[in-house]
Amino acid sequence: MPGILVVAEQHNGQLCDVTAELIGAAVTVKSRIGGPLRVLVIGASVNPLSKGVALAGVDEIQTVQTASDHFDPLVYEQAVMAAASQDKPFLILIAHTANGTAFAAGVAARLGAGLASDVFGLDVEGELIATRSAYRNKVAMELDFPGKDIVVLTLRGATFAPAEQGGSAPVSPISLHLGAIKGASSHIEYQEPTSSGIDITKAEFILSVGRGIQNKDNVQRFEALAERIGAVLGCSRPIVDSGWLPKAHQVGQSGKLASNCQLYLAVGISGATQHLFGMKHVPVIIAVNTDLGAPIFDVATFGTTVDMFELADALQRHFN
Amino acid sequence: METRELFWSLTPNAIVLFYVIGYGAIAVFLYGIVRHLVKYYRGRSPGKIPSLGSCIQRLLTDLLTHRTLKKRDRYAGYAHMGIFFGFLIAAAGTATITLEYDIIYPLFRIRFWKGDFYLLFSLILDLGHLALTAGIVMMIWRRAAFKLPRLSYLRSYKGETELRPVAKLWKLEDWSFLVVLLLIELSGFLQEAVGLMVDKPEWAIWSPVGLVLAKAFSGLGMSEGTAASIRGANWWMHGVLALAFTAAIPWYKAKHIIAVIGSLAMRDDRPLSRLPREPEGKDESGVGCMSDFSWKDMLNFDACTKCGRCHEVCPATNAGYPLSPRDLILDLRTYNDKVRGRSEEGVDLIGDIIAPETLWSCRTCGACQEVCPVGIEHPTIIVQMRRHLVEQGEMEPMLQTALDAIANTGNSFGENARNRAAWTRELGFAVKDIRKERADLLWFVGDYASFDPRNQRVSRAFATLLKAAGKDFALLHEGERNAGNDVRRVGEEGLFETLVDGNLAAIACAQPFERIITTDPHSYNTIRNEYPEFGETPLIEHYTSVLADMLSSGQLKVSNPLNKRVTFHDPCHLGRLNGGYDAPREVLRAIGCEVVEMPRNRENSFCCGAGGGRIWMPDPPGKEKPSENRIHEAAALGDIDVFVTCCPKDLTMFEDARKTSGHERDFVVMDIAELVAEAVKLGTLTPENLPPIVERLTDAIASRIADVVSARLEEMLGRFAPPALTDASAVIPLPDRTHPQFDEDTVLQKQQMPAHPAPEPATLPPTKASTPSIEVPIASTNWDNPSPLQPAVFEAYAAPEKTGIRILVTVKNVAKLGDEIRFTADGRDVVSDYIQYELNEWDDSALEQALLLTEANGGGEVVAVCVGPEEAEQSLRKVLAKGADRAVRIWSDGLSNADPLVIARAIAGIAKAEDPDLIFCGTQSADNAHGSTSTALAAILGLPRAVVVESVRWDGRGALTVTRELEGGIKEILTMPTPAVLAIQTGTDLPRYATMKMIKQARNKPLEVVDGSSAIDGVGGYRVRRMYVPVRQRAAMLEGTAEQVAEKIAAIIHERRG
Ligand SMILES: Cc1cc2nc3c(=O)[nH]c(=O)nc-3n(C[C@H](O)[C@H](O)[C@H](O)COP(=O)(O)OP(=O)(O)OC[C@H]3O[C@@H](n4cnc5c(N)ncnc54)[C@H](O)[C@@H]3O)c2cc1C
Repeated sequence: MPGILVVAEQHNGQLCDVTAELIGAAVTVKSRIGGPLRVLVIGASVNPLSKGVALAGVDEIQTVQTASDHFDPLVYEQAVMAAASQDKPFLILIAHTANGTAFAAGVAARLGAGLASDVFGLDVEGELIATRSAYRNKVAMELDFPGKDIVVLTLRGATFAPAEQGGSAPVSPISLHLGAIKGASSHIEYQEPTSSGIDITKAEFILSVGRGIQNKDNVQRFEALAERIGAVLGCSRPIVDSGWLPKAHQVGQSGKLASNCQLYLAVGISGATQHLFGMKHVPVIIAVNTDLGAPIFDVATFGTTVDMFELADALQRHFN
Repeated sequence: METRELFWSLTPNAIVLFYVIGYGAIAVFLYGIVRHLVKYYRGRSPGKIPSLGSCIQRLLTDLLTHRTLKKRDRYAGYAHMGIFFGFLIAAAGTATITLEYDIIYPLFRIRFWKGDFYLLFSLILDLGHLALTAGIVMMIWRRAAFKLPRLSYLRSYKGETELRPVAKLWKLEDWSFLVVLLLIELSGFLQEAVGLMVDKPEWAIWSPVGLVLAKAFSGLGMSEGTAASIRGANWWMHGVLALAFTAAIPWYKAKHIIAVIGSLAMRDDRPLSRLPREPEGKDESGVGCMSDFSWKDMLNFDACTKCGRCHEVCPATNAGYPLSPRDLILDLRTYNDKVRGRSEEGVDLIGDIIAPETLWSCRTCGACQEVCPVGIEHPTIIVQMRRHLVEQGEMEPMLQTALDAIANTGNSFGENARNRAAWTRELGFAVKDIRKERADLLWFVGDYASFDPRNQRVSRAFATLLKAAGKDFALLHEGERNAGNDVRRVGEEGLFETLVDGNLAAIACAQPFERIITTDPHSYNTIRNEYPEFGETPLIEHYTSVLADMLSSGQLKVSNPLNKRVTFHDPCHLGRLNGGYDAPREVLRAIGCEVVEMPRNRENSFCCGAGGGRIWMPDPPGKEKPSENRIHEAAALGDIDVFVTCCPKDLTMFEDARKTSGHERDFVVMDIAELVAEAVKLGTLTPENLPPIVERLTDAIASRIADVVSARLEEMLGRFAPPALTDASAVIPLPDRTHPQFDEDTVLQKQQMPAHPAPEPATLPPTKASTPSIEVPIASTNWDNPSPLQPAVFEAYAAPEKTGIRILVTVKNVAKLGDEIRFTADGRDVVSDYIQYELNEWDDSALEQALLLTEANGGGEVVAVCVGPEEAEQSLRKVLAKGADRAVRIWSDGLSNADPLVIARAIAGIAKAEDPDLIFCGTQSADNAHGSTSTALAAILGLPRAVVVESVRWDGRGALTVTRELEGGIKEILTMPTPAVLAIQTGTDLPRYATMKMIKQARNKPLEVVDGSSAIDGVGGYRVRRMYVPVRQRAAMLEGTAEQVAEKIAAIIHERRG
């Protein structure tokens, strides 16, 4: 059951960070699964992209030339099917992202392959074992794929160490007639999220609020608290979904990465994967959540189960 | 002759003129009355009308005793009594004179207004007018000099700094009412005096006031001639003022004189403690426009005299919330005077006239209606308007969550119903289950006493007391549901009825018992007063009276009199609404406490702020909560040891308020049962209870140790076991973090215990823990033999004909783990007993998009498809209630552990038959977050797809325009052909709320169940090897009160940030 195929993820002609992580994860299991490790690059500008994926451990880079760099799930599915049927890899690794999830399960369904998504742990103990979360990130589930000689996995981002530089894999184009894909979409435009005066990526100290805040009126209270303690106010997605704070405040996968943050105070946030994505790397995280089982405590340095409102009041007094 | 000179020396023309004015005044008066009657006529019927006899009886008692007016304001009570009786006598006098002069004498030539009768009447009239005058003077003095805050119309709670024009008019009418009346009285006396001066009758002594005045005038040197000319001029002044006053009655505040008759007579004999049901056959719930009010409600509006007593006692007004019961009624009245019982196009009663926040501020404590002198039932009016809001889904998200939890789990904590009696596990004895064994008493525990840790302690204390007194009691265990008292007061009538049905059914199926007892005044109220309207309900007693009985009968003996100075808080639902004032006080005295009353006690008790569903709504910051206001009141008594409660919500609120209001050191807050337990020395346990307790304790300790050791071992093994391959650190690299150093006592060391210590084994109910999870077999595939998935085939399923656009929405009933996580014996899944289920939020968003799209296209069909067991129908019902037209549920036991590929295959089978234009899935399910089903479904059906879709535009024919959200919040806009599968992301449009009523109405929508066995044929994508709780609590836990934790966090912030 040799062979691994990694599908590179790109956005608008730029490789995404997760691609190197996929390759990194593939490299860790390559010796136990057996090579080769191939990376499939799909897009209009495959040449520069191919250079980016020539990392340590990669044995071959395959390219599928398409008319545009914009993502289309059917094009990707088709390209992966073509590349895979040619080389018959055991493992196909795809990013667990808005694009990756749009075709990974499609490939699996078309092949009747094994499938697991949002995988954060990968191991081989005679057989392939994938670990992912269940029950709102409170429980881990370990999966195997008996009888499957083809397994498609989507891997969680910002979780696996990226592959090192220094590879020199040959590039081989795959020619694929993509002209007549029925049902393909046409890209119109991208819209960058509107900024609203704050920049989560630059903030060193973030006070982030989640659904525990309960209603819009309470936002003010935490706004005031953030100001008082000198923090930038961040939040989880439901707060933005409800229209209580502008998108620019959202921390996480579909929001902003707290890249420069040194201290992160998370109140009333459960710690869903997509939120953790944006902040789990912060050196000191303080989590305030009444549910002792909340996964946020898994990444926090300090935790407390006191009520966030009582705490806010008390904290406010301390900084008076 | 001794009689009243009516038209004293008037020319015939003047008399005609007077009659013209008089009839004119009467006409204006009658026209005003008719306008009101038409307005009332437009109101709905108030439903149940009390019997005429009881109406009249109560009305007369109220009026004659003036009990409602004297209540807590004797000055105003007596002043009003003077005005009322004086006015009555004066009106009777005028009426009888008119009767004689204009009707009886012209017709029958009979006069009765003469001789001794006249003299006696003259005396009574004189005294009556004197009382009336005195009352008016008192009232004027009160208004001018007392500076009563409740008489101010400034709505400072709404940030007003200046009176609004209408409030200025109110002030004007208040004053003119008094002043005009006073002028009428004074001119009357003047007329009498000058008449006596001129006529000098012998019987002058029978008009004492006039006589005294006449004497005074003469003494001051007034000549007869002057008196005579005053007599002429003043006659007109007096007459015209009196007629003008009469004419004006229906047109301003004086209308209360008439409206109050209806308002008092129609008063509910159990207002608020038994709310009215929704009238039959109405399309929409509650009151959304003026014509939804009943004529009785409208009488209430008109009866208001703006006395402000409700304004003064309302806990919401006091705490600065945007509600004053007085202002609410005045706003409704002002508006009703404009629309006169009709609804107005383009104006929303709730929103434009009355703000929703105003309605939500009410605690339904009943203080306003209790103190209202004219019988206005403010809370009932408020709840009726809330019903409308609830039906529209306009409410606090937190309240919505609580209602959802109650609907889903039967309790407001969202806990698994099976844990309802979990608090009994720590008792030294087993508590009977009335569903299996008979008992004397059935204890209805209520949510807070069952699930809230602080209140569980009280429940255990009371259980132990019952046991010690030899009482035979039982619980409904998981058969009990939230009683619905507060749900009803929130305005969720549909859910309330469902809860009543559930509880009554559970009670009906119970083994025999004598009566119900309860520790919860809210449950007590609704079961006592409201349940009987829905079905046979046994008698119910509050535990304070059970305690009083047990103490007075000697079943409980006080061995340790407490000698404490305590104050007692009357819960609204026990005291004001049900008159249970004495039992708790008797209990406290029996156990040797000195009861010091707070100024506001008994029926004037001040609500803790939690009633009417407020406990489920957040309090805005920075305001003094009603509970804090109350705690200050108790603290002002000085030297109190204990603040005693007998209501679980009170205990919760006041425990909290004691801390937040800075009285933590002044006294403690305790439930009455805890005090009794202390006084009867329940610390000493009866010998027969000892063995189980010891057993339980050792078991508990043993399992704790086992947990700690195993966690430790796991950690050590994890650290020392060499990884299988050195280059492969298989699991996520855990960032190694050095925790900042703190004093030992500032930061507690990282806990070693797993976050979910398994509950003590001895206490675990025998669950399905031993049944292994069902394994879905998976078939092998390889490159030589790829097996593309095909839609499942459901032979028996046929979809109805398509008539317009059809959108399929996939729906999952997602799991939510509670505090306890236990795994099946084979370790491959979580025991379902500990799981709650709810509608997946992403599917909710998908449904919303589907509904919006069909609405925008002028119709179409939304069909919900779910793979799930029968329990999942709760989510399907909800989706149907929100507007889906049909639902399909696919099930077979083999699908229990189905993975996304199996689910997709099953749904594809239905999709094939339905041939929809669009299929909307949630981007992911909240529990397992595979994010794969939509893509697999699209691939199986061979359809185009887009995932993480924020919004969709479609005209029902051509291409779709779709906005997707990518990482980092970047949006991609694209077009794609249909049919298509879209995975919808949350956020763009908040999903609508399904009220219980909508859920009920949706019961008739079709829900088809399809046998799903054909979907299981090994297509699954994975097998679960095991599930486990990852080694938890990598965070160092900061312990202590909020204050202490804040201090530690502040220290961390200072250290890190300087
Ligand atoms: C494609 C995709 C992208 C996403 N991107 C993001 C993203 O960028 N960022 C993001 O945040 N989410 C994102 N999500 C959503 C994510 O899956 C979760 O739904 C979300 O993070 C949950 O937010 P939360 O923790 O605030 O709410 P919840 O999970 O509801 O947690 C609320 C927490 O508050 C606690 N709490 C309640 N009351 C109190 C109190 N009084 N005191 C203390 N604690 C209290 C509760 O115990 C609970 O743990 C994304 C989802 C998808 C599918």
